[in-house]
Amino acid sequence: MLFLMFRVGKDRYVLDADQIEQILPFMEAKALPGAPHGVVGVINYHGAPVPLIDLSSLAVGRPSATVMSTRIILIRYPSAEGTDRRLALCAEHVVETVSRPASDFVPTGVEAGTPAYLGPVAADAEGLIQWIRAEALLTAEIRAILFQDSGAAI
Amino acid sequence: MSGDSEPAERKAGASASSLLDRPLPPGYREDWARHFADTAAVSNRVADSASADQTVVIFRIGAEWLALSTALFHEIAEPRRIHSLPHRRDDMLLGIVNVRGELLVCVSLAALLGIGDGPSSQRSDRIKTFARIVVIGREGRRLAFPVDEVHGIHRYAEADLTATPATIGKAAARFATAMISWQGRSVGRLDDQLVLDTLDRSIA
Repeated sequence: MLFLMFRVGKDRYVLDADQIEQILPFMEAKALPGAPHGVVGVINYHGAPVPLIDLSSLAVGRPSATVMSTRIILIRYPSAEGTDRRLALCAEHVVETVSRPASDFVPTGVEAGTPAYLGPVAADAEGLIQWIRAEALLTAEIRAILFQDSGAAI
Repeated sequence: MSGDSEPAERKAGASASSLLDRPLPPGYREDWARHFADTAAVSNRVADSASADQTVVIFRIGAEWLALSTALFHEIAEPRRIHSLPHRRDDMLLGIVNVRGELLVCVSLAALLGIGDGPSSQRSDRIKTFARIVVIGREGRRLAFPVDEVHGIHRYAEADLTATPATIGKAAARFATAMISWQGRSVGRLDDQLVLDTLDRSIA
């Protein structure tokens, strides 16, 4: 399986490349005052608003650094209606892909206390990389807030 | 976990990563936001991706810029000595080359296409060009040929192709299926299959 690797804080995480539609430069987002934690705004993707979630601020509480290697990962987000919505994630150091079999990833053993989006881990020469389950990034209530205009075309 | 003690091989890429970690230039985020806000681009992009699926490697032999499918290319190596074969003295077969321990038959694409190795192989508009040995192949059969310069991979749409002009040399016209306009030049798009078949026959 092909994974996209990035950093949140000091540690490395991966996303399944199948879910990813496009990698975008770290463009300016329209701020959403009062948005839920981690949601930094909305980007205009060819006319369609796409919610932008900053993984750094979601996980470690500080925004992603404004450097070249910080990029926006546009993913297809499965929604309740069966149609895919788009979701934009920004993270640091989005410069690498890794190819690992899914069986390399083993449970951390401390799932109980950690957020639902943190998946199993795989070891490599530099330490551990953790699989992020994009579909679990949004809690049901945030999903309801972000995607409530489900009647509108994507 | 990856802490402050990075392994040595990562340090080699430190300068590359410092390039990636440089701060964004002023206006960068706003410019990209404007770029992706453009709704007209969506339909264009979809149309492009349907037809721009062809990539070629562009290289130069003599004065001719030529292109073959990227999938054909196995390796582009530094020029090295071509060992001639005894009792084989034709223009097409140059000899054998050692590419990373593998002995490959080295052929002359210039002879195949009838491109003269005249003074035109020296270009005046650039200070230095780098000759290369190119390894191409399919289905496990590999062969090498020298080129005067390799540009790299070029992606083109079907619409960028033009018919080969009538003035093109007779031998080259047989192998060139179309012309690709690239940086103000016309690049001869060679027929992959035909070139390989003919080369295979010539070295048999």
